[in-house]
Amino acid sequence: MTFAVTAQKQCTAAYSCGPVKLSLTFDESPLQKALDGLLSQYDAPWPATATEVFVTIEQGLPPDDIPNPAGAYLHSYRLHVDRCSTHLVSLSNVGVWMDFDEAAKKARIIVSHHPDRETVIEEVEQQLVLLLARAWASQGWTPLHAGSLIPPGKTDCVLVCAPSGVGKTTFISALLCRGWRTLGDDKVLLRKENGSIVARALSRRIHLHPALVNWFPEIGEIEKWPRYSRWTEKRMVKMEAIWPGQLIDSAIPTGLVQLERAENGPMLNIEPLDSVGALNSLLHQIAIPSDAVDARFLISCAAAMAGRLRAALVTVGNNAFSNSSTAERLEEALRGLLP
Amino acid sequence: MQSTIDNRCWMLRPDVVSTVLNDGAVILDLRSKFFFSTNPTGWAIAQMFETGATRAEIHTASRQWGANGADTQAIDSVIDQMISEGLVEPANAPASAVAGVAVAVWIPPALTKHREPLQRIMVSAFDPGLPLAE
Repeated sequence: MTFAVTAQKQCTAAYSCGPVKLSLTFDESPLQKALDGLLSQYDAPWPATATEVFVTIEQGLPPDDIPNPAGAYLHSYRLHVDRCSTHLVSLSNVGVWMDFDEAAKKARIIVSHHPDRETVIEEVEQQLVLLLARAWASQGWTPLHAGSLIPPGKTDCVLVCAPSGVGKTTFISALLCRGWRTLGDDKVLLRKENGSIVARALSRRIHLHPALVNWFPEIGEIEKWPRYSRWTEKRMVKMEAIWPGQLIDSAIPTGLVQLERAENGPMLNIEPLDSVGALNSLLHQIAIPSDAVDARFLISCAAAMAGRLRAALVTVGNNAFSNSSTAERLEEALRGLLP
Repeated sequence: MQSTIDNRCWMLRPDVVSTVLNDGAVILDLRSKFFFSTNPTGWAIAQMFETGATRAEIHTASRQWGANGADTQAIDSVIDQMISEGLVEPANAPASAVAGVAVAVWIPPALTKHREPLQRIMVSAFDPGLPLAE
């Protein structure tokens, strides 16, 4: 990241976020500091920055000559997004507005005055996540909300798919403690390259809950690390500090785990999944917009990969990792998903 | 249902997208967010609807692919399901079914609707899933 204050009292900052460089101009430096946490997390090494997107973030009101987006393109809990030609127009709940011209690679974000400053910042973050997801896709990369695991000495990975809160990070931590490596606990980018699908890391950070130390004492005290967000106790921890050398840059996905949590069930249950089940898992972890062209690109990548994956549905009972044999059994099962 | 629509031309809706998976395909309805999987012959039928086809044209093509009289019900069932699920819509243009759709080995066509639709409202543009309480 680079940062500067210009003569016009504007701040500029630049972040490399995987294959996309974001060049931001702010009219308010506190906002820049607040967004630094989000944008600094995409710090995994990348071979080359393929494209640059210029973003201005300013105070004001959304233009009154453009209809408010209805969410026809994408509807999230924070954003309503419409597509108009090459533009994505997005409005958040508290009035943070963005116009992203994908062809010109320029975006304008207008931040309205609102008393709930934390929510405003979170919604600017959501606009930037939308911008990045589209900019990555325009470079041929499919954003997948999934963790990954690579056994020692191998370059093939198992993708770990589950909604937030099911336990992807715990699952991955259990195997990291046994010497496995990862591309990250919840974000990867995928792309077809030379006839296969490649997964690349986006972040050197992992989001660990302080309570994990009860199961994995080797991770040590992590409460000193900054919180990931105000909605969770999880800390944003640099992988190198806990598992040095176990974050890698890229891998070939050959296996997939659909992870589920059982409140009252067996400690560990593993069942095979067919390719349709694997695709179902992948599609539920990709934010697919309603635009047919954009959706087709994302779905094609997922389908090309799903047809080649060995997949399993893994159900983990609450407190399963208090028993050391759980990680051993998982390790054996994951090796069965790799060539 | 069949008798009233035999001569109509049907076409995949523009917001229905499909992609090949193994030797079949997956069809995603971006409006309802439900997705469907097909076997190779179901996929061949879906491809016929990409540029518009009548039920009669589908039956003719199916016979060329190896279907016989015993397969009529399975073919109609897939067509009826595509119509009732709204995957296809009536087309004003004359039918111009995709030429060159090939089926290596004929098996009765199948179209399976998956129970869980994709998320209509997402958490973010990167994380579609509703988080569970930790």
